[in-house]
Amino acid sequence: MKLSLTINGDPYRENVESTQTLLGVLRDDIGLTGTKWGCLTGDCGSCTVLVDGRTVVSCLQLAAQVDGSTIITVEGLAGRGRTMSDLQDAFVRHGAAQCGFCTPGMLVAAEQLIRDGIEADEKAIREGLSGNLCRCTGYNKIIDAVVEIAATRG
Amino acid sequence: MTAAPVAAPAAEVFRPADVAEAVRFLADHPGAVPIAGGTDVMIDRRLGRLSTGWLVDISHLDTGGIVRDGDDLTIGATTTIRSIETSRELADTAPALVEAARVLGSVQIRNMATLGGNLCHATPSAEMPPPLLVFGSSAALAGPSGERSIDLADLATGPGTTSLAPGEMLVSVTAAVPDGIGSCYIRQTIRWAMDLAGAGVAASVETDGDTVTALRVGLGAVSPIPMLVPGLDDIAVGHVLDPDVLAEAAARARDACSPISDARGTADYRRHVVAVLTARAIRIAAARARGTWPIDRLAPPNGFDPEVLPGRENGPVR
Ligand SMILES: Cc1cc2nc3c(=O)[nH]c(=O)nc-3n(C[C@H](O)[C@H](O)[C@H](O)COP(=O)(O)OP(=O)(O)OC[C@H]3O[C@@H](n4cnc5c(N)ncnc54)[C@H](O)[C@@H]3O)c2cc1C
Ligand code: FES
Ligand code: FES
Repeated sequence: MKLSLTINGDPYRENVESTQTLLGVLRDDIGLTGTKWGCLTGDCGSCTVLVDGRTVVSCLQLAAQVDGSTIITVEGLAGRGRTMSDLQDAFVRHGAAQCGFCTPGMLVAAEQLIRDGIEADEKAIREGLSGNLCRCTGYNKIIDAVVEIAATRG
Repeated sequence: MTAAPVAAPAAEVFRPADVAEAVRFLADHPGAVPIAGGTDVMIDRRLGRLSTGWLVDISHLDTGGIVRDGDDLTIGATTTIRSIETSRELADTAPALVEAARVLGSVQIRNMATLGGNLCHATPSAEMPPPLLVFGSSAALAGPSGERSIDLADLATGPGTTSLAPGEMLVSVTAAVPDGIGSCYIRQTIRWAMDLAGAGVAASVETDGDTVTALRVGLGAVSPIPMLVPGLDDIAVGHVLDPDVLAEAAARARDACSPISDARGTADYRRHVVAVLTARAIRIAAARARGTWPIDRLAPPNGFDPEVLPGRENGPVR
């Protein structure tokens, strides 16, 4: 089927299998491999992207259902000049990435929590990020980075 | 290494314009399956539990959203769990629904998952049925032979099965939420987030002064289908909710359920948990009905809130 999407500001028209997932379209058809595939069962959050301003796990999102939507992936967080966003910068300063596999999903999920106005509160942010697993950092540095940016943007 | 697997064996997706077109398509294509948020459907397909030629995308259909009209609270089937979690109207009138929505999956899952999907997948541990059952809800269905309304208690018929006729879909659910009704939903899990309930308990309480005029308790994850605890009116209506009445209600809930032993606990443990959670949920719902529960405070997921409700009733019930 023909699929029209706006991804990170650019228009795409793709011919895809009608039962392809959004994750598959992003990685295989379009080549945006920042979005990771982990569990494929909605549990780990490493495939998190924004669809029309809402976070979804793209491994469970049937691409056909989001035809016409606006998608933001981790590649779209940095802005055109390829400078890092304040949140990405905070991840670096806090050492919030080790192997980095969870990082794209964490960044997208945290970015939207902050845009939605989450308080700079550790408990609220832990709860908000409970759909994103990290096997390396023990979470504290990630939470510190997100709390900092929630407070400075607040 | 980069190739992400496709969803499942070949199938086609149809995107109807409205409920009528969806129902016509379902009727004309036996075996076609609605897909709303897809958080159950996509996993069922991946695990080989569901193979179908047609997926009918109903996620974008307008089913009315969340509307209160007098005592009737109607929620469209395609309403996302996240919209229920963040609804001002529901926080004020039916906090049990907010408390159930808030613990379902993650933000990402709640952004996708819908009320209709939660009810029609008929998972015994599903979060939304117990609170809807304590509001005496009905379900509006649309099918090839027109529309009908059933008691929500009659929708699920067993684990994974419903009374929906071929081609029929759920359009909305209407709960009875009279002024002053207090409600609460709490559950037992092994982890705080991203876990399914070992036991889920909803309570609704109506009072006149300190006297109970109605009490309902709904259970999830401890019987093949979500259920209401029978016989609570006999022990509670016309009485004050003292520790004896609470203990008796908790004992009835424990005796009414039929949990299995699995990874979430043994049957004995889950029965015990049902008794504990029932007493907690009733106390919180009653405090809300009487106006003594802080406005806008959600119950902790397991209902243990000694700051607001001190006393031994918060602990194990005899
Ligand atoms: C990681 C993860 C965590 C989860 N955690 C929880 C949890 O804590 N608690 C919980 O209760 N659930 C949980 N779930 C299960 C799931 O998210 C919910 O059951 C959800 O509400 C299903 O809604 P959906 O719109 O995604 O349904 P779909 O997957 O689209 O559909 C589910 C079923 O219902 C049918 N259906 C959907 N809408 C209708 C309709 N209007 N009429 C007729 N049939 C319909 C479909 O055909 C399908 O059989 C979890 C799932 C995942 C992946
Ligand atoms: S790959 Fe999508 S949630 Fe794990
Ligand atoms: S940094 Fe390795 S999984 Fe999070």
